[in-house]
Amino acid sequence: MTRLIRLTRVEWLKLTSTRSSYGLLAVSVGLTAVWNILEASRAGTGSGPDPLNTFTGLREIVAGGVWDLILAAVLGMMISSGEFRHHTATSTYLAAPDRNRVLAAKAITGVVGGGIFGLAGYAVACAVGLSFVAAKGYPVVIGASTFVDWGAGHLVGGALLGVIGVAVGSLIRSQLAVVIGAFVWSIILETLIGGLFPAVHPYLPYTAATTLAGTALGVASFGSGGGASSVAPLPFAAATGLLLAIGVVIAAIAARTTVRRDIT
Amino acid sequence: MGTIQISGLKKRFGAVAAVDGLSFVVRPGTVTGFLGPNGAGKTTTLRMLLGLVRPDGGSALINGVPYQNLPEPSRAVGAVLEASSFHPGRTARAHLRIQAAAADVDQSRVDDVLSLVDLDGAAGRRIGGFSLGMRQRLGLATALLADPDILILDEPTNGLDPEGVRWLRDLLRGFAAEGGTVLVSSHLLAEVAQTVDSVVIIQRGRLVRQGPIAELTADGGGLEDVFFREVSR
Repeated sequence: MTRLIRLTRVEWLKLTSTRSSYGLLAVSVGLTAVWNILEASRAGTGSGPDPLNTFTGLREIVAGGVWDLILAAVLGMMISSGEFRHHTATSTYLAAPDRNRVLAAKAITGVVGGGIFGLAGYAVACAVGLSFVAAKGYPVVIGASTFVDWGAGHLVGGALLGVIGVAVGSLIRSQLAVVIGAFVWSIILETLIGGLFPAVHPYLPYTAATTLAGTALGVASFGSGGGASSVAPLPFAAATGLLLAIGVVIAAIAARTTVRRDIT
Repeated sequence: MGTIQISGLKKRFGAVAAVDGLSFVVRPGTVTGFLGPNGAGKTTTLRMLLGLVRPDGGSALINGVPYQNLPEPSRAVGAVLEASSFHPGRTARAHLRIQAAAADVDQSRVDDVLSLVDLDGAAGRRIGGFSLGMRQRLGLATALLADPDILILDEPTNGLDPEGVRWLRDLLRGFAAEGGTVLVSSHLLAEVAQTVDSVVIIQRGRLVRQGPIAELTADGGGLEDVFFREVSR
């Protein structure tokens, strides 16, 4: 346990010692801000979200811009596949030959980093949404407890997508491939699968994370677009369990396959 | 402490036998040159010794156990395998701080080793802007961070200027004089001849000669003559 704590600290030091981590966080926050400002500007015009003095309209701004979640997964991928992109796996495994323990430390780092991405994105989304509400003189039609629930959802969704990102990045060592794959999966494949098989839609990982974060099923800012679904999203605990299970299964496959490969 | 023992070590990559039943021992207090032509299996052997490549057969032990079973591997072995295994966006100091944390070494050692390899002036620079020689020095600083008993170095003089080569030679000889074990692979036979006490020569993954350099060159020929005679058999 002591070694796992030490390795987790090492992984955190790695994550915070390069500009790319902060750059990705800045991209996440910036995209959320720009996207939500544009969406809030269009609210109530007929071509955009419902007016911000309605629950659905304000929800779409506060909980619908979920760039932070997909970028939390990308962060996780950087944590693991970055070792092969920059050839640092050699020094990592020289210092810590137990590769499964290294994978566990990376997963914990992915939880923390992904959670931070989720919370930061949500804070920006709330700031944008509530600023527009205040500017228009509308009442805030969403209760405080709902705001807290969605914040918890962003935190948990970001954290678990961070873990899934670490697991996928361990399974597939090409950083470019996994990052492109993350966007293709979220933007194209989940939309297609969700459209063709609506009953499956709530169980798709990115969709599950967005609904966990408060987005109505089918109206995430990208990826699950195409209009609200009649299918109910997974309850909080079920979505959390599903995402955790996906992360654990992919990590277990990676631990038995690619993680054991020779470092040549 | 500080013994390297390779016994019947084997590794194939597809149809190619990279290492084929290799056996040798390196004892403390010596600098041993690990020599062989390109593709002889030197780097694969070193990577198996360090737990990075899984052997198909035989054993590669450090102090009697596989590298991955060492309780604190960085304190037992310092290794320099490739000059490119650094994140280019990280500073030299940040890299060493991470390695110190991984080895559970006091962070004060970071400045000590930076000074030792003469990189204290570049500690805050990003490694992406380092020359090959500076990367080699940083690799050596990483290897020395936890004050190990054994140094394993793969082509450590690549990119070093003549002053750096001399500095490294003195460092390795001083390390061995204090009881440390050094195994160093190199293509630079003239440099090896000035640095090492004994050599292990391999060809096509097999041992072709091992012994003290004085013994191998007793007939008046140099190390280069011995090397070419052995690998051309």
